[in-house]
Amino acid sequence: MTLHMTKTQKVLRFMGNNTVPILFLIICAFGIPLSGYSANYLVSEVIVRIARNSFLIVSLLIPILAGMGLNFGMTLGAMAGQIGLIFISDWGIAGIPGMLLAMIISTPISIILGWWCGKILNMAKGREMVTSYIIGFFMNGIYQMIVLYGMGAIIPIRSNALVLPRGYGIRNTVNLIGIRKSLDNLLTVRLFGIPIPLVTFAVIALLCLFVLWFKKTKLGQDMRAVGQDMEVARAAGIRVEHTRIISIIISTVFAGYGMILYLQNIGTLNTYNSHMQIGMFSVAALLVGGATVAKANIRNVFLGVILFHLMFIVSPMAGKNLIGQAQLGEYFRVFVSYGVITISLVLYEVRKKRDRGLAGLVLAAEQEETV
Amino acid sequence: MKLNLTRTFWIRTATIALILVFSVFLFFIGKQHTVLVDNKAVTVNGVELKALQLVEVEVNTLGSMELAARDRDKFDVTGQKHKVTVIYTDANWEEHTIVRTFRIPLMQDMVMILLPALVANPEGDQSLWLENYELPTYAMTAPAEEPVVTDDLAVLVEI
Repeated sequence: MTLHMTKTQKVLRFMGNNTVPILFLIICAFGIPLSGYSANYLVSEVIVRIARNSFLIVSLLIPILAGMGLNFGMTLGAMAGQIGLIFISDWGIAGIPGMLLAMIISTPISIILGWWCGKILNMAKGREMVTSYIIGFFMNGIYQMIVLYGMGAIIPIRSNALVLPRGYGIRNTVNLIGIRKSLDNLLTVRLFGIPIPLVTFAVIALLCLFVLWFKKTKLGQDMRAVGQDMEVARAAGIRVEHTRIISIIISTVFAGYGMILYLQNIGTLNTYNSHMQIGMFSVAALLVGGATVAKANIRNVFLGVILFHLMFIVSPMAGKNLIGQAQLGEYFRVFVSYGVITISLVLYEVRKKRDRGLAGLVLAAEQEETV
Repeated sequence: MKLNLTRTFWIRTATIALILVFSVFLFFIGKQHTVLVDNKAVTVNGVELKALQLVEVEVNTLGSMELAARDRDKFDVTGQKHKVTVIYTDANWEEHTIVRTFRIPLMQDMVMILLPALVANPEGDQSLWLENYELPTYAMTAPAEEPVVTDDLAVLVEI
């Protein structure tokens, strides 16, 4: 039995379920004319950002499937990817071989970090997001210790361009000129004058297909079951803790690869900050796409990248044209990226309570019918 | 601990070994080198060879460049085996083309092709016209000290 809703209620429900994307659509609708950018410029910028960020955001999907919420621990994978990039920069390995080698180096590091993160998250069931967020900060300390004090002193680094003047530790920025846009420029077609990096899109498409296929596998179904109800899944013979750890490992490994893809597009590695920013922005983009803590799909990824980054592109210029200061736009976009996470989390809780209330009403109506 | 030599164990071991071999392969094909092409007077085996008036040089298919006497330029290449093409005109206005392949040592970052030596010994061993090059110490500017910002919020402490 279902509760009958009026058209207005249905519209309100739809808007309630899609508040964040609608909010962003409104911001973009106001921001685009104010920025004064041409459609061609905006489309080409959005395409660059889809190619740059999608892989990272897709890496967040599998832990959500397993009921572990938004994996802020993806920064661990990003750190692993960066370590791989530091090594290939030191060895002078360029192009696609350099990228592949960085991925190979990052994989075991990501697996170990993901396994460790998953173990801790199993001890903090129900509080996975905040735990993974704090794990990111904790691991950042260890990463800094290795990169700032270990590299050059214990771990051999030959290149003077990488090592700090004191003789150990990696510089603030690492030039990735050897692999810069090596994947993006491998095969590019121009559509209405807009360059489309076909190979990068093919790689992202492959990952999306992998996620879709993975959901249908035994492990994927186990993850879904664990995500819905851990106790029921356990009673059905699923190794709940093991399944959760695997979901985090997969996410961390993909986050490492995503970071390599992201940085090959940028061409510069901000050694001590890149990974911390990327976790926050990826989560925010996914939420902007209409995902929730418990449900996300590939559609959310792409809608999120487009809306979130469109706002990123237009807000500085819109701020400048509106108030005369580009800085205001910068503040605005940082404020919005943190704000959107807050709004999404609050809305998720509100929706959960509302759905529980609705379920109660349905139950009451069913009981009345029975009586 | 007893090692369980099951089929799965061997498949995993083989996969790891395969990935390691692939990594080494990537290292070999992806290693970047700088090839300097130098058109200055040079002494080879006690014989002084003059710089060429004008020479066109290309490494692999990276685009050709023209060098006048005393010019030096560079190509960035990946991998160890490469081809150099040199086109020059002699005193009788006859154009000559020399195509040679050469091999760069794996861990050598920079090598220099001595164009007058290559033109004088087009069939000679590569050691006559290709030398390993290390950046002279005076060319390395002392890197500036840079503060490492590991915490964006650290600035708040100073306020």
